[in-house]
Amino acid sequence: MTGATIQAKNGVNGAVSAVLKSLKDSGCVDAVLVPTRVKSGETFVYLLIRNPKMLDSCAPLPPVMPVQGARALQSLTRHGKVEQTVLCVMRPCEVRASIELAKRRQVDLENVLFMSLDCPGALRTRDYVNDPEALDKRYQGILNNWEGDGLRPTCETCVHFSCEDVPVDLHVGLVGTKEEEAVIIGVSKRGEELLDKAGIECSEDVSAWQVEVEKARDKKAGNRSKVVSELKDKAAGMDNLGLLFADCINCHNCMRVCPICYCRQCFFDSSDQVRLRAEDYFAKAQARGGIRFPGDMMQFHLGRIYHMGLSCVGCGACEDGCPMDVPVSQVFAFAGDEVQKTFDYVPGRSTDEPIPTLTYEEDELHEYEDA
Amino acid sequence: MKEPTIVGFLCNWCSYEGADRAGDARLEYPANIRTVRVMCSGRVEPEFVLHAFREGASGVLILGCHPGDCHYKMGNYKARRRISLLKKTLEQLGIEPERVRLDWVAAGEGERFAKVANEMADTIKGLGPLELS
Repeated sequence: MTGATIQAKNGVNGAVSAVLKSLKDSGCVDAVLVPTRVKSGETFVYLLIRNPKMLDSCAPLPPVMPVQGARALQSLTRHGKVEQTVLCVMRPCEVRASIELAKRRQVDLENVLFMSLDCPGALRTRDYVNDPEALDKRYQGILNNWEGDGLRPTCETCVHFSCEDVPVDLHVGLVGTKEEEAVIIGVSKRGEELLDKAGIECSEDVSAWQVEVEKARDKKAGNRSKVVSELKDKAAGMDNLGLLFADCINCHNCMRVCPICYCRQCFFDSSDQVRLRAEDYFAKAQARGGIRFPGDMMQFHLGRIYHMGLSCVGCGACEDGCPMDVPVSQVFAFAGDEVQKTFDYVPGRSTDEPIPTLTYEEDELHEYEDA
Repeated sequence: MKEPTIVGFLCNWCSYEGADRAGDARLEYPANIRTVRVMCSGRVEPEFVLHAFREGASGVLILGCHPGDCHYKMGNYKARRRISLLKKTLEQLGIEPERVRLDWVAAGEGERFAKVANEMADTIKGLGPLELS
């Protein structure tokens, strides 16, 4: 793998925005979908940018992830493929979620290119909006040292923060690079061509960066197994699950912000499926002594874990969106890791890998049959 | 004590007939198994299982045609993927995966149906009721 060093005197965002401009100027990219700070300053949105001047103010690696990029891309391609080439600048988890959505035909990847960056994680959106200036500073520190306080717990355990197993065209390496420097890499054939046309010569050896990525990944993997084993004691069993989800207020925010939960009519919003008539509730209360209201809280969470566990990319949007600080995303990691292993499935790795529930082998999984 | 309820989803083309056959032969199977006829084991969405749990079932039995014999060629293979996924998820969350049983019973297998139903009732009795609410 080879790449090119880019100067980042004005921070990562400045460096990447310069690259985006030269890609746009070279004519091989018609538009760029990239996070940009809103005018009021306290949050970020995705902008589809055609005017190169607007790229000056974009923020390819914002400190927070208020909108999951896959959702932005889903909106863009809702009616099918885009006719012009669009380069999406996203965190690795957002690219992976886009791939999962593409497999569900909710995103059309034709003419879509991806650029990702080494991601140190994101801060909690709610923390950020309260004090953007202080948290910008803190995030800069995290970028420099690749660690620091205030990262979302999910991000602390993320092993897919770089471009391995993420099907991107271009990648910006940041881990362990010199301060005020980054490396840009053409990961796919198309990515290499893009850089070539933009006049960015990629001939430098990037193995030093790769070594640093490995080191950082080992650390995160360690965090992950620690958190998962701790959760095993805290979450396993009906009683524990009840305690874990006890604060849930049934707002279903976790579902709405999840990039992969895409059904337009959710099972849990279809009133005839989950709501009974009063006399049925009375009968149930009679049988059990008393019943909880609303009654579908646990079914909702278990249903979501079942539905999304295989495809969960661990972006943490659910937890970031939870007003009650229920550790939804961590429970997903705890349950999802195992089911993903069962089916040898890495969500978001490749569009060529079918979703395990949509395919089958005739001779398999006999340990789950009771015959 | 009241016997814990078990919901059985039975494939129209095989297991449901199998249950009928068990009845014809006057074989006994536990009365706490409530059967629901479905057109294929592949029709059983794991949401149905969770819903049955929520409505008070302590175990769910999913019976389909033997692999290779599906009326729709591949419904039971797909069911096996989904139910495996569900069982693995439940296991990880500390809910006994034995509460969900996937098995194959052909139309002529009345005895096998009675055996599976009895075994399931014993298993669930051993595990006790599930409180999902």
